[in-house]
Amino acid sequence: MDDISLLRKLDKVTAPPDFEQRVMTQLARRRAALPQARRAQAFRYSLAGAAAALLVCFLVLNVFVLRNGPGRVQMAGRDATEALKASDIVPITETVNYRNEVRDASSEPRTVYILEQVSNASNKYTRY
Amino acid sequence: MMNMDEQHLVGRIQAGDEWAFAEIVHIYKDRIVNYLYQVTGDYQKAADLSQETFLRVFFKANKYRPIAPFSSWIYAIASNLAKTELKKNRRANLVSFDDIQPGLEASTPSEESTDSGLIKNLRQALEALNPRYRIPVVLKDIEGYSQEEIAEIIQRPIGTVKARISRGRNILKKQLEKATKENLSFQKREILDGRY
Repeated sequence: MDDISLLRKLDKVTAPPDFEQRVMTQLARRRAALPQARRAQAFRYSLAGAAAALLVCFLVLNVFVLRNGPGRVQMAGRDATEALKASDIVPITETVNYRNEVRDASSEPRTVYILEQVSNASNKYTRY
Repeated sequence: MMNMDEQHLVGRIQAGDEWAFAEIVHIYKDRIVNYLYQVTGDYQKAADLSQETFLRVFFKANKYRPIAPFSSWIYAIASNLAKTELKKNRRANLVSFDDIQPGLEASTPSEESTDSGLIKNLRQALEALNPRYRIPVVLKDIEGYSQEEIAEIIQRPIGTVKARISRGRNILKKQLEKATKENLSFQKREILDGRY
């Protein structure tokens, strides 16, 4: 391709006269700035590491300790007691004499209980 | 300088030897500046990018592995810097093929090969060429690298390199033909207008 062979004839340039000196000066400058840059980089990495460690600690505590731990159970019991106190329920406790209750089933006829609904209203304050 | 000497110099650069680095700069400065000038079309930018290329050679010397020639490695650094720079200034420096104006100094390709008009058109066409094609074409047709070496430099398969060189050349050829035709019609108009 004739046209492309002309590419070799395109004007060629050389480096500026002070090129080497400029490169060496720039090299010295960058080498001097290198420890500072490395320190800054190390600081950034350590900061990121500390933040990551904190996040991991928070997640571990939240998942394994705060959610299923004993503190959580105690909190639930206390919550229930407080809820009971807040309502208007009057707890009634009846004692039962089991000697009167236990009978010989073979000697007596079977007891049949007929339950009849007397009223639709129920006393919500009485709990057994 | 022999390849072994270069390997030795690189080894010393890896140990932080500035004298060896200065030697490498001395050996490659003209080649790298010229290469970057052909790719960017801007001498000042080429000098700045060359400086950055050499500084990277020094600071990244530990990453060099002697499986490839040192020249390929340094050209790879220069190519990457040029590509980044061209991308950065793509909009600002974009030269459309339509902007290649025929001038009176241009002439047909059949004339003498040193024709300055044709070379000027060629330079403009090269600058308008996408860097994807421009870099392989410059490496092949100006720097004289083989396709295998170019594949190492631009880190692409050899098939891709062949295709890009071929496509780049075709684009350049078409643009030169177009510029020549436009120039001929321009000259005709000038004659008909009685300027000659």
